[in-house]
Amino acid sequence: MENVVTHEDWKVCFSELAPGLVLFARQFARTSADAEDIVQDAFVRFWRKEHSIENRALLFATVRSVALDLLRRDARRARREANASLEMEQSTLPQFDFDDGSQQELAAAVDLLPVEQREVLVMKIWNELTFAEIGQALGISQNTAASRYRYALVALKKNFVAHE
Amino acid sequence: MNDFSELEAELKKLRPRAASPELATRIERALAEAPTATPSAGVLPKHRKFRVNWFGLGLGLAAAAALLLLARVNVERPGKRQSVVAMTPVPFAPPIPASDAFVPAGLTQVVYNTRDEGLHFPEGADQPVRRVRTQKRETLQWRNPGTGTSLRVSYPSEEVTLIPVSGQ
Repeated sequence: MENVVTHEDWKVCFSELAPGLVLFARQFARTSADAEDIVQDAFVRFWRKEHSIENRALLFATVRSVALDLLRRDARRARREANASLEMEQSTLPQFDFDDGSQQELAAAVDLLPVEQREVLVMKIWNELTFAEIGQALGISQNTAASRYRYALVALKKNFVAHE
Repeated sequence: MNDFSELEAELKKLRPRAASPELATRIERALAEAPTATPSAGVLPKHRKFRVNWFGLGLGLAAAAALLLLARVNVERPGKRQSVVAMTPVPFAPPIPASDAFVPAGLTQVVYNTRDEGLHFPEGADQPVRRVRTQKRETLQWRNPGTGTSLRVSYPSEEVTLIPVSGQ
């Protein structure tokens, strides 16, 4: 099923969405390279099925699904990865570009959040999804999405202020 | 504004790192490839072979046979009951020379069924009516005096008669 939209069109869509998608994928992956692999696989699947690019909930659900598949495979080869962990830590890049030290601390505080809060935060803040879309992407109600977001902000405020 | 507006503003100032330029190239390459060649989370794509679906084929043949049977039954059904007015045939006028003109030679009506359908109360009528349905066969006959040939047309017809019933 080949997409009828030209490759130039997907490039425009992708260039707008790529940073946010990679950031979202990073919540599940240990390295930027893994995150980009996830985004590549998910975006190709999504585009081939000719889904509307406006359906961001489905796009993020696809990214999450691919990421969880990768995590499961990773669990199977955990022993091998343990041996290579040092190398991976070295190749891991930060998720954000920083202007100053306080931003770096804020990013570190984001990293400390539980994954279920982090994924909601990433979709809401850096991808501007609505709670309804987030709920759809995660398979939860929009109220649950909103409360996870609020918990994340409460935790961030507590940790970030403590570090200031 | 909520209690977290400042924090949200601070978070939005954090810029996610741009994706590497190779990512777009890789996606472009993957989209250009055949869909089956896409890596799909460890699941090997199934090789699709042409296979005859015997069940579908049998179902299709059965449906076709049923259609043929129905069509035959429809052809063999007698004419639908209609009112006398509707059954009036279109005058038969074969294109023949004036000298060989057919002239009407007779009309026969054979009533083979009469059914009294009881009292009815038509809308707008002051009194009830008895409805009698008559089924008959009408035969029209033409004759050509010049050649001596005759033409006969026979058709079934149905007539509904409403007979006013006077009150007691």
